[in-house]
Amino acid sequence: MLQITNLHARLKDGREILKGIDLSVEAGEVHAIMGPNGSGKSTLASVLAGRDGYEITSGSVTYQGRDLLDMPADERAREGVFLAFQYPVEIPGVNNMYFLRAALNAGRRHRGESGLDAGQFLRTVRSKLKLLEISEDLMQRAVNVGFSGGEKKRNEIFQMAMLEPRLAILDETDSGLDIDALRLVAKGVNELRAPGRSIVMITHYQRLLSYIEPDRVHVLQDGRIVESGDKNLAAELERRGYGAVGDAA
Amino acid sequence: MSAVVDFPVKPEARPYLDVFVESASEPDWLRRARRESVNRFAEAGFPTRRRESWRYLDLRPLEQHPMLPLVVGQPMGIPNGLALDRNAARIVLVDGRFAPELSQLDLPEGVWFGPTRQAIIERADLVKAFAADDGAKYPFAALNAAFFDDGFVLEVGYGVVLDAPIEIVHLASGAGDASLHTRSMIELCAGSRATVVETYTGTGKYWRNDFALWRIEEDAVLTRIALVEESGDATHFEDIDAVLLTERAKLDAFSLLVGGGTVRQEISVAMSSANAECRIDGAFVVSGQEEANIVTTIDHQAVGGTTSELVKGVAAGRAHGAFQGKIIVREGAQQTDARQTSRNLILGRRAVIDTKPELEILADDVKCAHGASVGELDEAALFYLRSRGIPSEEARRLLVEGFLAEAFDGVAHVGIRQHLLRRLSQRLARLEEWS
Repeated sequence: MLQITNLHARLKDGREILKGIDLSVEAGEVHAIMGPNGSGKSTLASVLAGRDGYEITSGSVTYQGRDLLDMPADERAREGVFLAFQYPVEIPGVNNMYFLRAALNAGRRHRGESGLDAGQFLRTVRSKLKLLEISEDLMQRAVNVGFSGGEKKRNEIFQMAMLEPRLAILDETDSGLDIDALRLVAKGVNELRAPGRSIVMITHYQRLLSYIEPDRVHVLQDGRIVESGDKNLAAELERRGYGAVGDAA
Repeated sequence: MSAVVDFPVKPEARPYLDVFVESASEPDWLRRARRESVNRFAEAGFPTRRRESWRYLDLRPLEQHPMLPLVVGQPMGIPNGLALDRNAARIVLVDGRFAPELSQLDLPEGVWFGPTRQAIIERADLVKAFAADDGAKYPFAALNAAFFDDGFVLEVGYGVVLDAPIEIVHLASGAGDASLHTRSMIELCAGSRATVVETYTGTGKYWRNDFALWRIEEDAVLTRIALVEESGDATHFEDIDAVLLTERAKLDAFSLLVGGGTVRQEISVAMSSANAECRIDGAFVVSGQEEANIVTTIDHQAVGGTTSELVKGVAAGRAHGAFQGKIIVREGAQQTDARQTSRNLILGRRAVIDTKPELEILADDVKCAHGASVGELDEAALFYLRSRGIPSEEARRLLVEGFLAEAFDGVAHVGIRQHLLRRLSQRLARLEEWS
């Protein structure tokens, strides 16, 4: 599904953030990437989703056999890559439903499918809203405008449920959530686990991983993956802290 | 024919003075008004850029290539999708002249509605109020007064409430490379209500130079919507003089400017009585080499007036947009509450938007606020939309539409609002320069 090889990336100001990432995610797997603040977690998510402002100095990212870095951000999304934002953006004036339908139909057109009619669309929206316990009223508002922090994060997972990506990258989706919201988000993500779908969860805390059990856990530190293991690594990190990881490796 | 006058004539006004002919069929008072107006225009000429309210437009092309008043027009129909409800009372003016076959004048008792030409005969009392023009306020209004062919007059009697919108469609055929001049009036008597939707469109090259007077009495509410979708080669000047005559008179205006080579709309509102209310909202989109200029002056002369103004603009390509909004609060106009906002978006590096809010406050117990901004599309929002698969250009269009949509919130009539939003969508779908 996703093959990252020796990926180096720096900011426009020249600061190198990713210093040789190697990561391989197979179809159907859930990987967790953990690490302290400033280790490069969010940069990795941004680079994979195609956000501007980063320069790839070396390495490669292959997604379903294609060069991911060569695709513009919107094409990546139409090809099935989804980023759940750490800070979802408020877009005044753009209605949620309108936006969602534009996104969904962009993907369908790309795959040579016809656009959903209003009835089909509404039925799908309703069923997925229920899953995440999002009020239908929110859908009539502008994108993320007037949403609480928790609602914004649930809206990300709702969009993921609507768009049914092949590769979902969740960037600190657990941050700022209370326990009830966290459970809902986790439930949403777990429902979306499927043999053909890979999920990369980026998180600072082990908390999320007790609700969404990963197949693999990686520790990112100073722009490199310094340790990988199974789900037990997360619990171990919680105990000993990130400080010791580098030494252990 | 060259008129003999006893004052110096501005060279750019000379061609217009030369073609001025009095019509023997018009009443004396009108002939006198036209004569006075043409003289005033000949003396004053075109406004220069030194005149503050004209500083953003380049009038040289018009000075160098006079566009004389149209002699012979051409019939034309209303383009698809432009008109509202087919059953609405409607006046269609083709090349500035009443087109009876496209119009529908039936309105309830207590309403006078018809072309200005008919009003000259039947309602001289009304036409005399706006026939002459000294050009002091709007230089081209004097030119209009000298040459206007037709227009419309709407008088809504005491307490008459018109729920259905009245539609005025201004069509231009582009015949003869000419200027078109209509002179119109809306008068709302005490306690009456009316919604007037004016749509402007055309083909080819023409210069539209319209003038209107609106008078609103106590407790009356005039809602006026303008949709300007002129031809890309057209020049559109529109001068409006609105007077909120007596207590609690209310004006609710919205303008959508989405087409025309050079479009300028000037609305001047005099709030001469207590507790008058005025809302002027608008949106414009310019691209290519287009120019749009919205100029408003709101003059609070009495206590307790309320003004709210929100104008949003988008410029792409090498286009130029400008908003000039002046709010005057006179000494006696205590407890005035005025709010003015101008928000603008630039797409690309060569487009320009000027915004110039101006407050002149002479009273001490007032609430006045204004804000103005010119910015670019929010990159974070753009990436968010693209990260969901929406192609870059569609994402930009969504953001621009969303940005402008706020200005439409004040359009209370749902059908009209949706109609305007559709016209906006179609304009944006034609836009080619997104960055």
